[in-house]
Amino acid sequence: MKPLLSIKNLHVRVAGREVLKGIDLELMPGEVHAIMGPNGSGKSTLSQVLSGRETYEVLEGEVLFDGKNLLSMQPEDRAHAGVFMAFQYPVEIPGVGNLHFLRTALNARRRTEGKEELDAMDFLQLAREKSKLVELDPTFMQRSVNEGFSGGEKKRNEIFQMAVLEPKLAILDETDSGLDIDALRIVSGGINALRSAERSMLVITHYQRLLEYVVPDKVSVLAGGKIVRTGGRELALELEKKGYAWLGDGRTPGGKEARP
Amino acid sequence: MTEAGLQHYLDLAERFQAERAVSAPGWLRTLRQEGIAQLARQGFPTSKNENWKYTNVAPISGQAFTPVRTVHEAGVEAAVARLALPGTGPRLVFVDGWFVRELSHLDGGIAGLSVHSLRDALVKDGELLETLEASVGRRARAEEHPFVALNAALLEEGALVRVAPGTVCTEPVQLLFLTHGDNHVALSSPRVVVLAGDNSELTLVESYMGSAPGVSFTNAVTEVVLGAGAKVTHVKLQSESETAFHIGSLHVEQGRDSRFASHLISLGGALARNEVSTTFAAQGGECILNGLYVGHGSQHLDHWTNLDHAHPRCTSRELYKGVLDDTSRGTFHGKVLVRPDAQQTDSRQSNRNLLLSEAAMADARPQLEILADDVKCAHGATVGRLDEQALFYLRSRGIPRAEAEWLLTHAFASEVVGAVPLAALRAQVEELLGRKLPGAKEGRA
Repeated sequence: MKPLLSIKNLHVRVAGREVLKGIDLELMPGEVHAIMGPNGSGKSTLSQVLSGRETYEVLEGEVLFDGKNLLSMQPEDRAHAGVFMAFQYPVEIPGVGNLHFLRTALNARRRTEGKEELDAMDFLQLAREKSKLVELDPTFMQRSVNEGFSGGEKKRNEIFQMAVLEPKLAILDETDSGLDIDALRIVSGGINALRSAERSMLVITHYQRLLEYVVPDKVSVLAGGKIVRTGGRELALELEKKGYAWLGDGRTPGGKEARP
Repeated sequence: MTEAGLQHYLDLAERFQAERAVSAPGWLRTLRQEGIAQLARQGFPTSKNENWKYTNVAPISGQAFTPVRTVHEAGVEAAVARLALPGTGPRLVFVDGWFVRELSHLDGGIAGLSVHSLRDALVKDGELLETLEASVGRRARAEEHPFVALNAALLEEGALVRVAPGTVCTEPVQLLFLTHGDNHVALSSPRVVVLAGDNSELTLVESYMGSAPGVSFTNAVTEVVLGAGAKVTHVKLQSESETAFHIGSLHVEQGRDSRFASHLISLGGALARNEVSTTFAAQGGECILNGLYVGHGSQHLDHWTNLDHAHPRCTSRELYKGVLDDTSRGTFHGKVLVRPDAQQTDSRQSNRNLLLSEAAMADARPQLEILADDVKCAHGATVGRLDEQALFYLRSRGIPRAEAEWLLTHAFASEVVGAVPLAALRAQVEELLGRKLPGAKEGRA
């Protein structure tokens, strides 16, 4: 089987500073891969680069998605190809209705696929059904995108969007941040319901808390712009006990020796 | 400004006045003469005049615009059919400033509402003429404004709308001013006078529409007087050809506890200036001034507002928003005067501009003069660009860039459009915006 996502020797600069210093990572179809790491390790940079944010400069390396050169694609084209990022900080957009926004997004992709666009009624039906996944109150759909939503509501809205857009690759950027325990359970439930053999997930998180609910197939640790360790789910538990210092900052291979 | 340019308008007005001297009542002759004298005295404004700092009127004063009697053609009927609001409310249609009776209906079937073309009213006798004598020029003063002076000098056409005390007009009154496509010198000088009696309610819509490639000049003046407890909503939709010139001023006097709302949508014109000047003539009034201007190409859209809090316990809310693309320029000069006696004034003013290109320009000039001490006054002005984060968020969901830009620009404008009364009117505004906002074609797929 071919990997869905293949990152090779990725070097990325942000505001003059090299943040990613040679990332290698493969994600198989259906695989859930958690990326953990301390603050400032480059986790969010990785998710933003994959989704096409233009404030990042790729110095070296390549990213193949479904065999395509992902880095040369516009953000909207990546979305059409099946990439979805759940934002750490979902943006509030006053004046743009949540439902209208999402229908516009879905129909834009359907156009590229040569499919008929969904009209407002058909889409409303779909949205109602999908909103149940994350227990999102239907009144939220009529409001402006994320405007006045609580932290938990914003994250639920992200997973709701993912449910409607049905991506091949979901990048969950610190989706657990700012969630209380009830919201975490709801959001995790939504994510788990969307796991399938055709959908891979890159779960980016600082804490292993989320991984108790969304159990990953693999865990990698990002530190100092490099992946310093990859293992199974038990790696997350070990990190929880020992902290990130145990693995070093990535400057020295092996980590352990760097900070005895 | 050239002297020759001014002379053309003075000669024109003298001829106009002389031709009508025999039939006009004394006060009207005086009003026109005074208009001529004031125009001669003031001349056309230059950028040295503080109120005209950003706007050069030389393209108007340098051209020999003249009132032109147009025979309306088939195209006009189609335009009227398209723009007419649903319902049975009175509708007056003007082509190049001339009232067209065949396309109008004056009787809206509302007891207590009377609507006349100004020219009709001026040849009547008795009470109607006395009303006009007392009202025309009451708020719009020639001595304060050269374009009001020019309008007065050429005063003949327009509308008189009277609402008897206690009358609630359930249907809007619509005034439709069409500038004809192929007339290159047409000068229209409509004067609209609205008298809303105590506790009456009225919605008045003035639409100024034109089609390219006409080069016309509309110099419109509207005066509104609200009695105690009256509620008047005024909508002005300015969508003339982008080669046209438009100067318009709205002058409002508010009685005790009255409520006035103005919604201005300014889309057309090579140069368009809209003024709103309101005075609280008694306490307890409420005034809302909303505005939206959308410029592209080399359009120049100018807005000047003046809120006079002359009495206590009055509230004003002002929101003007501009969307400017290409090399267009939008200006907002918003003056709020709180006089010494106007305690417990509550006034908020906001001007927000969205620039869509490097070369577009916005001038925001709030001007508060507060002479009372127990007041709440706030103002703010911003000039910004599309939010990159919001743009990325939309694109990351698969919405193409042009469509995302359209969504955000439209969202910016929707705050003002959403406040416009009457669904049919909002739909008209939306349609015009749909054609005008950048990315509209891609965005509305």
